[in-house]
Amino acid sequence: MIKIENLGFSYGAFPVLTNISMELRGGNIYGLLGENGVGKTTLLTLLCGLKKPQEGSIDVDGRRPFDRLPSLLGEQFYLPETVAPVHARAISFAKENGALRSGFDPDKFTAVLTEFEVDPEQRMDAMSAGQLKKTWISYALACNAKYYYFDEPTNGLDIPSKTQFRRAVTRYTAEDATLVISTHQVRDLENIIDPVIILDNRAVLCNASLQEISEKLFFDYGTELHPGALYLEQTPGGCIQVYPNTTGEESKVNLEAFFNTVHAHKDVVSQMFNR
Amino acid sequence: MSEIFNFHRFGTYFLYDLRQMWRKHSRAAMLIGGSVAILYVVWVLCSLVFTQHWSAPMIEVRFMLLMVAFTVLELYQARTYGYLTDKMEGSDWLMVPASRTEKFVSMLLMTLVVIPLLFLFVYFLLDGFLSLVDPTYGKALITGFWDTYHGMINMFGQMSEASPIVFSTGALVFAFIIGYICNFLYFLLCGVFFKNHKIVWGIAIMCGFSMVLSILFGLLVPILMLKMPHFEMDELQAAHLVAGLMNGTLVFCCLLALGLGWGIWRRVKTLQH
Repeated sequence: MIKIENLGFSYGAFPVLTNISMELRGGNIYGLLGENGVGKTTLLTLLCGLKKPQEGSIDVDGRRPFDRLPSLLGEQFYLPETVAPVHARAISFAKENGALRSGFDPDKFTAVLTEFEVDPEQRMDAMSAGQLKKTWISYALACNAKYYYFDEPTNGLDIPSKTQFRRAVTRYTAEDATLVISTHQVRDLENIIDPVIILDNRAVLCNASLQEISEKLFFDYGTELHPGALYLEQTPGGCIQVYPNTTGEESKVNLEAFFNTVHAHKDVVSQMFNR
Repeated sequence: MSEIFNFHRFGTYFLYDLRQMWRKHSRAAMLIGGSVAILYVVWVLCSLVFTQHWSAPMIEVRFMLLMVAFTVLELYQARTYGYLTDKMEGSDWLMVPASRTEKFVSMLLMTLVVIPLLFLFVYFLLDGFLSLVDPTYGKALITGFWDTYHGMINMFGQMSEASPIVFSTGALVFAFIIGYICNFLYFLLCGVFFKNHKIVWGIAIMCGFSMVLSILFGLLVPILMLKMPHFEMDELQAAHLVAGLMNGTLVFCCLLALGLGWGIWRRVKTLQH
């Protein structure tokens, strides 16, 4: 389990994260959402130990990520938004790097990469940005890590690859694994992320499961306008409205509409979820 | 399994590091090591063009080239682990599941042992090969080194008998080794510390430091001379002064090497991306 307590981080005099506290439990795929510059990448790099918390603490099963202990490094995988090109064939790269990870499975790497329609014998420095990303994703999943931190993993992927990514993530990660996926492309990952964390202005606006969201907010896909709608978006066949769920009726959460609702009514939603 | 140092994990990491080094820097290392062959080709061509005679570079020239190539290799240390300051590659390196100690030890072994040995191996191998195939080439540099070493021992042996100044060849070899360690560590530190222009910064700081020391000594020596106008030294006192200076320099170099090593360790420990 990952326990974050009063976490704070600044770039010089500019604070990015202040007083962040939350717990991330195993077996979940957390969607980390937020506008540009709210600290999503900073939070991911703090979680994996690339940065040192300036205030507060992060505890991952009793270890601090910034200590960069080999046992924890072997259990986690951080995939940045932009990945480095490697002067090697994909399979050689995976085997060389995987030798340092006890959980690495070369067959799994080949299987995932083949699903992504990338040749494992292809040189990585000759790959397109999308192919390179798919190779890194395949390597990450083949490492059988316990903690995954993915920063915008679907950026640069074509439409079929986004579907393949969703399938691979659900199929090739362990049941008790914790995934934290930062993304702007909520539609790409809508079906796999649960719970949702929304960062805003250095703080966590909301950290809730889809169940909790649907208990508190109702997503109406009809055509009749609701007077208490917090958010309304016209669609070709009607509209999407989000309003407080007073009846207890369940609805399918639309993450983009939810994010826009949070963005438009920060105080209301924050009070609703942080009670 | 120890979180600080584990031999099995270190071995695996060292092999990984070796492969990375080979992939990134083997071409440059081969070019620097193979400079003797380049010199040979250029020398023979120039000789044929200008004198119409086949002539190979003399051993003195090859020795000079070795010194120059070794200096280039020293400067090149700023690039071997320079990728650590790069956001993408540096992040990958930090996330490799090995301890900081293992990464640091591997870094030192690579910089101080593997790369110089690879360079010397390539240089002497090519030099020896050319010496075998071309009769005009003369002795191989490695045999010349052996002769120079024996010559130095004889020379210092004779000097020790004639003068009270005692030089030990062991101290000279140690001075050479510690000097080489300091230079390699210095440029390695520049490589992992500066984000851009690593070699330029390294040279600039070295020049600045030398200038400050020169100014300091330039001011200090005349003041001392004025303070002690009737200061005289006999041969024995002079010998002791020289020996003392040499020992002081060696101690300074040892402390400098330790300081540079500590600086690299701190950087490895605290590097963030």
